Amino acid sequence: MQANCPECEAEITLDKPMRGEIIVCPDCGAELEVTSENPLALDLAPQEEEDWGE
Amino acid sequence: MDPNDLLSGLVRIYSPSIQERAASEYLVAQMNALGFRAFVDDAGNAVGILGEGARDIVLLGHIDTFHGYIEPRIEDGKLYGRGAVDAKGCLATFVAACARVGACEDVRFIVIGAVEEECSTSKGARYALTQYAPAFCIIGEPSGWDRITLGYKGRVLVDYEIAKSVTHTASGARAAVEDAVAFWNRVATFAAEYNRDKPRVFDQLDASLRALNSDDDGFTDRAKMRVTLRVPTGLTIAAVEKEIAQYVDGANVAFSSEEEPFRAEKNNALVRAFLNAIRDVGGKPAFTLKTGTADMNIVGPAWGCPIVAYGPGDSALDHTPNEHLDLAEYERAIGVLAKVLAVL
Repeated sequence: MQANCPECEAEITLDKPMRGEIIVCPDCGAELEVTSENPLALDLAPQEEEDWGE
Repeated sequence: MDPNDLLSGLVRIYSPSIQERAASEYLVAQMNALGFRAFVDDAGNAVGILGEGARDIVLLGHIDTFHGYIEPRIEDGKLYGRGAVDAKGCLATFVAACARVGACEDVRFIVIGAVEEECSTSKGARYALTQYAPAFCIIGEPSGWDRITLGYKGRVLVDYEIAKSVTHTASGARAAVEDAVAFWNRVATFAAEYNRDKPRVFDQLDASLRALNSDDDGFTDRAKMRVTLRVPTGLTIAAVEKEIAQYVDGANVAFSSEEEPFRAEKNNALVRAFLNAIRDVGGKPAFTLKTGTADMNIVGPAWGCPIVAYGPGDSALDHTPNEHLDLAEYERAIGVLAKVLAVL
């Protein structure tokens, strides 16, 4: 399955994508989330925010 | 039982650390009524088990709260009261979501309302650590319904004490309190130098001076100081203590309340289930890293299973007089968690 990196548009191929899986774009290094398995769709992975507290 | 009634009933029972018994007994009764096999364990934790499967999913919340009673009330769809956010809302979310999913063949949902999370003993989590070996763990702390907490800083308390003979102020000799201040300055410099190339707060070593007292009886000059250090994942408690031990210079220094920093993995079935569940109800998920500590610091390294912290509410309201939880968000969190539990 193929899709393009939403950050740099590099073509990315995954054999067995899992929805919710986090991958790293081999071209630009952006963290991506598999938001759909078939058809394969990629979005930027959720940001890591920082927060006070427990 | 209506989830709002469950939460309101729990918040109505004031349960600061070491005074959790009535709240534990209430929660056990409610969980038994919902079909759990529930009991108060030997540590005082409220435990409810649903299902008979071979894999355990532990949902570890805490039933104690910060001190300071707040009269419970509902205003504009928000429940005000001590523990509404930190963290009875999360604990009630756990119970309601498990009940909504029901008993499953292959898993056991184990909800734990742990005691003494708000004090340094963490008695409830330390006991739970010895009782279970879960496949997945969810810690009950407020992340917001659409966010997943992946990590917490570590912590160590430093108690400094020095006593020396009284000298005349004109002698030029350094007073005990000046030694204490010099010690603090070295600790603060160590933290500042460590943080120099680290823009993210989660990666920084935070040093906080919490108390400084001095006195003399005409013969002995004394100073006492307490420092709290919030330790990032790039350091260990041992490394921090080894560094600080070099600054002692004749004083006594004791370390306590040591918790190692912990950061969970984010590419596993548990995180995927949360991301998908949040998206399925129209949310945009985010990860969060916290500067405080939680029971994740204790069970995360020991259990070694996929782990996150999750629960409704704004953790900025933790320990505040204005502590409250939006009941609509509470219901959304129950819905998200039920979707997660249904696929694990």
